[in-house]
Amino acid sequence: MARFLMRRLVLFVLALMGISLLIFLALRILPGDVAAVMAGLDAPPERVDRLRRQMGLDRSYPRQYLDWISDFLKGDLGRSILTNRSIASQVGIRAQITFPLILLGLGVALLLGIPLGCAAALARSPRMQSFSHMAAIVGGSVPALWSGLLLIMLFAKGSGLIGLLPSQGFPTLGWAQPGQALAALILPALSTGIIVGAGIMRYTRSLLGDMLSSGYVDMGMACGMTRTQAALRIGLRLASPQLVSVVGLTMAEMITGVMVSENLFALPGLGSMLITDVGNRDLPAVQSELLLLAAFFLFLGLLVDVTHKLIDPRFRGAARQEVAD
Amino acid sequence: MSWEHTDRPRRGSRAAFPGRLGFLGRMRVVLASMWRKASERYSLIVLVMWILFSLVSRFWTPVPIWTTDGYRIWQAPSRDHLLGTDGTGADILSWLMAGSATNLAISLLAVLLSGVLGLLLVMAMVSRRSGVSQVVVVLVDALISLPTVLLALILAVPLGPSIAVVVVACGFGYGLNLARIVRPQALLAAESDYVQSARHSGVGSFRIFCTHLVPNVIPVLCVQLSMSAGTSVLAEAGLTYLGVGVPSGLPSWGHSLTTSVKFINVFPLTVLWPGLVVTMVVVALNLFGDALRDAIDPVTNPGLRAAVAAAGRSALQPAPQAVSAQLDDSDHLVENAMYAGEGGNDVAKY
Repeated sequence: MARFLMRRLVLFVLALMGISLLIFLALRILPGDVAAVMAGLDAPPERVDRLRRQMGLDRSYPRQYLDWISDFLKGDLGRSILTNRSIASQVGIRAQITFPLILLGLGVALLLGIPLGCAAALARSPRMQSFSHMAAIVGGSVPALWSGLLLIMLFAKGSGLIGLLPSQGFPTLGWAQPGQALAALILPALSTGIIVGAGIMRYTRSLLGDMLSSGYVDMGMACGMTRTQAALRIGLRLASPQLVSVVGLTMAEMITGVMVSENLFALPGLGSMLITDVGNRDLPAVQSELLLLAAFFLFLGLLVDVTHKLIDPRFRGAARQEVAD
Repeated sequence: MSWEHTDRPRRGSRAAFPGRLGFLGRMRVVLASMWRKASERYSLIVLVMWILFSLVSRFWTPVPIWTTDGYRIWQAPSRDHLLGTDGTGADILSWLMAGSATNLAISLLAVLLSGVLGLLLVMAMVSRRSGVSQVVVVLVDALISLPTVLLALILAVPLGPSIAVVVVACGFGYGLNLARIVRPQALLAAESDYVQSARHSGVGSFRIFCTHLVPNVIPVLCVQLSMSAGTSVLAEAGLTYLGVGVPSGLPSWGHSLTTSVKFINVFPLTVLWPGLVVTMVVVALNLFGDALRDAIDPVTNPGLRAAVAAAGRSALQPAPQAVSAQLDDSDHLVENAMYAGEGGNDVAKY
């Protein structure tokens, strides 16, 4: 385990370095002089020079890269060129919307996916099986943008058919008004969660289906459990390591949906901030935010791999045997 | 007579072997067995319509897409505009038709890129140099958690919104995914006896990969690539909405969805069509992969098994003139017998 952890950690650092280089280079091959564009059309040369120095563009590339990385590691993400605000504080404020949204969306996905997937795997009538199969496929084929729009048309307060929930914006006081803040996140979380939930349902169904035809469940039934009991207590537990991997990977795919719903529901979160900054070509902001995002997902991947190894009872047994030998 | 593995086989002659069902014959059986089930028939119809619409839209759309009419915006479906008009008075059906060509191109390119990248990675993963394979395996494990949209954003800053951004971002992500999913199957095949025997008779690892490993992973490949095509349609819609996908001005389904978003509360009907088209196509692609996997595998498709067996039988009891024609080419005959006589003692007859 320790060796696996070491290797995975080294790889995490290497991958992060590779990504940071990629981001740095991608933003440097931008055609044209960024400083001149920022300063405006008829700006005097001194102003362009000052701006260039301020952005650090007069230094050599390796120097710029090292400065950026060392600042990044110290927690200084730089300042936005347009607003001159500290990026780190902006990220801190906006993460208060995005992270709850991701967690809620994941909650929706798990609550939909795992019970339905188990039900689909345990269903015996062919009609029920094909129905659940189609439901999973159709649910996974709806674009997040479209499901968001349909949800707005159905449930938005004021304009929807059943006006229940707010569909635009976030309360100005933020989480000081927990009820309203939560209500503002429900529709976005549903629109991102449904498609991911359908994917999780599909995997749960196939993993549990494999387990049902394995000897483990037969053994449980031989010991007096019913088929459902054996499937849920033994099969689901054995399938859980792979489920953890799948859920971790689907979270990476979920982020596109999160960005779309932040834009659609006018939530000032990290996704809409990133999109705005990319649109404005706000280089320092874009490069730090992209690296932060990459670091987050690489770390998530690391976490998933380690959890996978930790909760797999077969792997634990093997490790114990190694010690005994 | 030499038929060791080290010799180059005659390419292009295989389909002519009486013992093998030719590609076209095989396809006919496969399509016929796919047509039998309702869900698979649906996927075939939708995909054929997708291709037809994108071909037709290159030459003709009901209304030219740049024709706009400021007096007739947000119209309900009518005889002039079968699906109504959007906020600039342009015909929605025409834009959807023109968009299908863009989406078809994106999906095909993304699938091609991911297939090539995935197979290259698998080739490295099953390589017998443990250094190479280990490095690639852990590299894929580390990079797989990066979301598609991150790569798209990195590329979109220097390139601006473009088709290339969508294709590269999707192709890269799905290629890694493919490699990870295909690897166990490929490893299993690499351990098999026939690969060992081929290796010992001196076949190079590239040829082993092409002739033994790839056919083994084709079922998984069908499902994964078809699903990737579906996901790339969804990704195009998302990325275009975020402003880093297909540039505005180029018709695509994501573009149609994005333009319909404005004024959603006033004209909800226009939102319906593009989303419906995307959902229908993605469902069809998801069904198609599973259907194709079941249909091309003789183990799961009894019809194909019967057809192959019939072709093999006719090869083993050929008409007299066919035998005399074959006797001239003894190389053919031996190889032919190897293909046709799986488990059959009839090989001895020759």
